[in-house]
Amino acid sequence: MANTIIEVENLSKLYKLGTIGTGSLRQDLQRWWNSSVLKKHDPFFDLQDDAPANDRQFLWALRDVNFGVDQGDALGIIGSNGSGKSTLLKIISRIVRPTQGYVRGRGKISSLLEVGTGFHQELTGRENIYISGYILGMSKPEIKSKFDEIVAFSGIEKFIDTPVKRYSSGMYVRLAFAVAAHLEPDILIVDEVLAVGDAEFQKKCLGKMREVSHGHGRTILFVSHSMQAVNNLCNKALWLDKGRLQEIGDVTAVVNKYISKVQKNMLKQEWDTPATAPGNDLIRFSKLELIPHLDHPGAPLDIRTPITVKFQFWNLAEDQELSVGLHLFSYGGECIFDVPSPSIQCQKGLVEGECLIPGNLLNDGSYYISLIIVKDTSLDLFYFEECLSFELEDFRGDIKWFGKWMGSVRPKLPFRIEQTLPELV
Amino acid sequence: MQENHWEISSKTSYWGWNLKELWSYRHLVASLIRREFLLNYQQTVLGPVWILIQPIMTLITYVVVFGKVVGIPTGSIPPLLFYFSGIVLWNLFNDSFSGTAFTFKENAHIFSKVYFPRLVMPISVVSTHFLRFLMQLFLLVLVMVYYWLFRDMPLPVTPLLLTLPAIIVVIGAIGLALGLFCSVVTAKYRDLVNFISLGVRLFMFITPVIYPMGAVPEKVRWLVEINPLTPLFELFRYALLGEGTVTVPGLLYSVSFAAISLLAATLVFNKQGDKLIDIV
Repeated sequence: MANTIIEVENLSKLYKLGTIGTGSLRQDLQRWWNSSVLKKHDPFFDLQDDAPANDRQFLWALRDVNFGVDQGDALGIIGSNGSGKSTLLKIISRIVRPTQGYVRGRGKISSLLEVGTGFHQELTGRENIYISGYILGMSKPEIKSKFDEIVAFSGIEKFIDTPVKRYSSGMYVRLAFAVAAHLEPDILIVDEVLAVGDAEFQKKCLGKMREVSHGHGRTILFVSHSMQAVNNLCNKALWLDKGRLQEIGDVTAVVNKYISKVQKNMLKQEWDTPATAPGNDLIRFSKLELIPHLDHPGAPLDIRTPITVKFQFWNLAEDQELSVGLHLFSYGGECIFDVPSPSIQCQKGLVEGECLIPGNLLNDGSYYISLIIVKDTSLDLFYFEECLSFELEDFRGDIKWFGKWMGSVRPKLPFRIEQTLPELV
Repeated sequence: MQENHWEISSKTSYWGWNLKELWSYRHLVASLIRREFLLNYQQTVLGPVWILIQPIMTLITYVVVFGKVVGIPTGSIPPLLFYFSGIVLWNLFNDSFSGTAFTFKENAHIFSKVYFPRLVMPISVVSTHFLRFLMQLFLLVLVMVYYWLFRDMPLPVTPLLLTLPAIIVVIGAIGLALGLFCSVVTAKYRDLVNFISLGVRLFMFITPVIYPMGAVPEKVRWLVEINPLTPLFELFRYALLGEGTVTVPGLLYSVSFAAISLLAATLVFNKQGDKLIDIV
């Protein structure tokens, strides 16, 4: 296919754990002596041919990964820690060799696996721009023609002839990224470099990368833990799980599937008989459920999602006046709110109710719910702690800022802003 | 867009490098050399003068210890010039070797983050030492001029002087070749680092640095003769100072040793280079 710029075929990478290379020179010689001179059976080579995936000595960092990237695509690579994302980038960057399989492609690749590769503390900013540029594969005229642009992008004009060891860490990162941002490869490989730098600079970097991919038809492979950034920058996503390709396709679909997989939600608890249910002589819980109101089933819960909390319990005593309190806690244990239900007169038997937590109220994060049953609006009957939990993913729409949003709640409040004077008089 | 197709697979090849690619990184080599000089002499009092002070101090030590105390005969060559020529040439070999013998170990960090032809690193190191050598050689020539002006030593202006560039290149090549071999080995077996620094020090004693070939007893002569550096050192002194034991087979041996070992070392370096990133 003419449009495919990278083709990955049956790519696998096996790492030996523990002492790499089987250990010392003595062991290697011994092995060589046994296998080559004495022609004895060598267990080490047996394993290399088809090492079992669960063998403790070996780890498949990647296993049979197949995919293609079209020219002009921005592919986000997502997955939990240790899922093989970085290994994949390193293989495509030609830093490490795969154990099996092929990567075929065309065009020039530049990889940005670290901010400031090739930087040296003792050298000035100017020297470092050149060395780092050369290491990343730029040519001399290329750097010369972009030098001023790089310096302007980094915003450290005043310090360009100062050794970088005297820079603040922010300045250092800005300069380093500025060099990388001006690379003009056909394929740009970026690994989680946005984790550094302040929010304003992150915005600048992402803007630059977007410009590179959308404006110039370059291909970008981008690893990030920020689903926001992936969503915003990429048009496709690839999900790796324990070295295997889980899903590849349209970015929103893949990211949503990934998030719903990793979200640790306790959405439902149920008990069949009062004997095993949590509670006491007066009341016992029978059913607890969180029902998120999602547009599509399977989509992750995000800050816009309204959630209904349903509960059901057995009232074991005659004629009690009961009410239920819903306590919502952040993962850190801070109480966000405590909402009581109205008090009603209950007879022996099942009691049920529900409470709606509206969308656009909470900030992103993990939450848990505790329920308390109160008699006569004053006496605590039973406090069921941490009985339900859920996670809310971030959603920002078109906001081009990717830092952590502050606050426990993030309500949509009526907000007005307008220009009153069209022009300064 | 360039239509250069590439493929990455598990196979590493001996010929997995091309001069064109290496050439496209020439500016990197140049700026690494520049960096090396800047780094060594920034925030120092004497700056680049250190390049000359080090051999001068060694020279003084040798003249005192081997010339005055031990009394090794240096033939008709003044001891000062004899030792100095040996030291300058030995430094070239020693620096080319020691500078490249730990290429993978020292550059593991950068090698694991970005791809460029790994040969760039040893080439820039050897080039740096080559420039340093030229400065030291210049000092040697100055001392010779002094002897010519004030001590009536004849200046050997003969066609043999034309062999000097060749000698220098061959010595640099042997240093680089052995260094490349060692860089592969030290990446895998760290404990060999100690052997290598000890080995290179012992190696100096079977090289005619502090003694002329003629002063070696018949019994241990073979030890000095199998050393490919020996004919080069002797020729260097012969061309520059007019005294030395030079044979054509000896020189042929040195040159072919240099050519074969450099070729083999480059091949091994390329073959192993890609795999070693997983290990270092």
